[in-house]
Amino acid sequence: MGILDRIREVVEGLTVHGQSTAILKVKAQIDNLFMIITVGDMLGVPILPPYYSLRLLPYVFPNIQNWKRYMLRERDFTDLVT
Amino acid sequence: MLNTPAPYILLGLVLYFLTYRFYARWIDKKIWETDPNRPTPSRLYFDGVEYFPVSKYVLFGYQFKSVAALGPIVGPLTGVLFFGWVPALLWVIFGNMFIGWAQDYSAMMMSVRNEGRSMGPITYKLLGDRARKILLMYLIFYLIIITAVFEWVIIDVLNRVPGTFTAVLFVLFGGIVFGQLIFRMRMDVLLATLVALLIVLVGYFTVALIPATQWPTTNFLDSPEFFTQYGFNPKLTYPGTLTLMFWLLVLSILYYIAATTPMPKFLLPTVYVGYLPSIIALVLILLAALVTPITGLTIQQQAIKNLYIDPMANPQGGPIWPILFVTIACGAISGWHSLVSSGLTSKQLEYETDALPVGGGAMLTEGSVALSSIAAIMVLSQPPAGAAAYVQGASLLTTKMLQVPEIYMNILYGIFVVVMGLITSMLFVRVFRLIMAELFEDSPLGNKYISPIILLIVAGFLAFVGSWTNLWIFFGGTNQLLAGLALLLVAIFLASVKKPAWYTLIPGGFMAITTLAALAWETYVYLLYALQNKPIGVQAAAAKLYGGAVVQISNFLSAAFGALLFVLGAVMAYYLFTGFAKYRQKQ
Repeated sequence: MGILDRIREVVEGLTVHGQSTAILKVKAQIDNLFMIITVGDMLGVPILPPYYSLRLLPYVFPNIQNWKRYMLRERDFTDLVT
Repeated sequence: MLNTPAPYILLGLVLYFLTYRFYARWIDKKIWETDPNRPTPSRLYFDGVEYFPVSKYVLFGYQFKSVAALGPIVGPLTGVLFFGWVPALLWVIFGNMFIGWAQDYSAMMMSVRNEGRSMGPITYKLLGDRARKILLMYLIFYLIIITAVFEWVIIDVLNRVPGTFTAVLFVLFGGIVFGQLIFRMRMDVLLATLVALLIVLVGYFTVALIPATQWPTTNFLDSPEFFTQYGFNPKLTYPGTLTLMFWLLVLSILYYIAATTPMPKFLLPTVYVGYLPSIIALVLILLAALVTPITGLTIQQQAIKNLYIDPMANPQGGPIWPILFVTIACGAISGWHSLVSSGLTSKQLEYETDALPVGGGAMLTEGSVALSSIAAIMVLSQPPAGAAAYVQGASLLTTKMLQVPEIYMNILYGIFVVVMGLITSMLFVRVFRLIMAELFEDSPLGNKYISPIILLIVAGFLAFVGSWTNLWIFFGGTNQLLAGLALLLVAIFLASVKKPAWYTLIPGGFMAITTLAALAWETYVYLLYALQNKPIGVQAAAAKLYGGAVVQISNFLSAAFGALLFVLGAVMAYYLFTGFAKYRQKQ
């Protein structure tokens, strides 16, 4: 990686990276709502999967492990600092 | 040559480099034994939202942005004014060399080795629930103090560098426009950035070239007669004035919007646009400090001043130990950094070996910001009190280097200080709101629209009536105590995994004892003046305007905060020392 690429990445970290992470969290909140409605029973949420959830299952399947890990992760007030 | 700042700044930079190259690398290899092949939480717990690997260069920039605020700017200049440039320089250099980088790096590594958990869960795991709750209470009061002091520093620059507010308005406007262009109009980031930068430049040159836009002027809402009647300097910022109240209201509105709107709409685009000119300002001042033998600027400040300041003679100071070590916080060491290191950065570290350049490297780079702040104050013969001194010194250094009219650099560094302060203080109010929502879920205190108001009222009152230097020392005390506690927590973790812990235990113990002493001293000063119903320094202006009782209430409140923070900090330190002894015994 050249010196200009490194400088570009440092500037990206200084300016944009925090914003990207915040946007990912906002997107995750919206996605989570959809996932809870469709496959919430996988987290123990007592929602009986409707017919359409089963039809959508092949499409959400690749993300299920990551999603479960995100939803069930321990959270703390010191996570709110950043 | 030796009578210019350059050799001392260069010495600091060289020592930082050697620290990174030898001492830090040795700790990284021999104690933590980092392994680039060992999976980090970003890979093990990948979720695409918070846990995902990021390049170390991006993380370095992000870590630096998150930790560098007003601390490395205001702290060093205050330290120089209190005790002389030699003690200040020595603490910035050696503090960072042996303690500062070690805290940032170690907190990050501790989090990486604990599944990316932040300080709260790690405290819970090592010390139990009671320690975690004490940490939470400590953080709440810490946020109040830090918001109050940042408000004062920002207002001091807005008040004493006319035109800064107009220029900052353009920065905020540029941020809002950038956010709208990106999210609503889906414009390309580079193009939107150019539009935002254009707005910032229009503001900058408008203020620099048109004197009528250099408004509001200093103390514009207060009558000159008030200052002459009581012998106050009309060019300084005083507690209790109408101008101060005006600026507090303006800041409160900004903070409230930042705390209650979604981050991508206001806060983050503003951070993005505000940081672009700040990078230029940072680079310029460091270069300017190094070329002082060519520009001919010499050291004007005393090498060593008072080693002890009697609180009744001058309450805005104290004995060199412990006050120097809390006056200069970020730049030498800062507890806030441990929260940042274990907050998001550790979750996105691609390789374990990236922790050193990201955590340690960012802190040593922040040390260079502190060095440039020392250089800025060194070249002033009669520096004004407060953050405006930094603006004046930085303008002098860079004006001589670039050979441009001073107004351009005045505005640039005015923007720089205000933006650096705003970026972080807007985040404090937001974090306070989120913590209150966690603690008081079902109560109005946890309501997202009510809790920021609580913070803004309490912090605003302290800033409105308080003595800023004493507030700054309070902030330093609480911040540095958090650093000491973080270092001791790392020592416990290292003991629990049977690794040597001396390199964090000794600094952690030193910081805990020093900061508890500083908090005790400051509480004593506030109580002394409250009991005698005397204003501290600049509080005299508030006393003249509203009577001594208001000032007395403020000082009693500050003393109460200090006592509470001392108790919470002492209890945490006790848990940490006994926890370490327990894990050490198990070995």
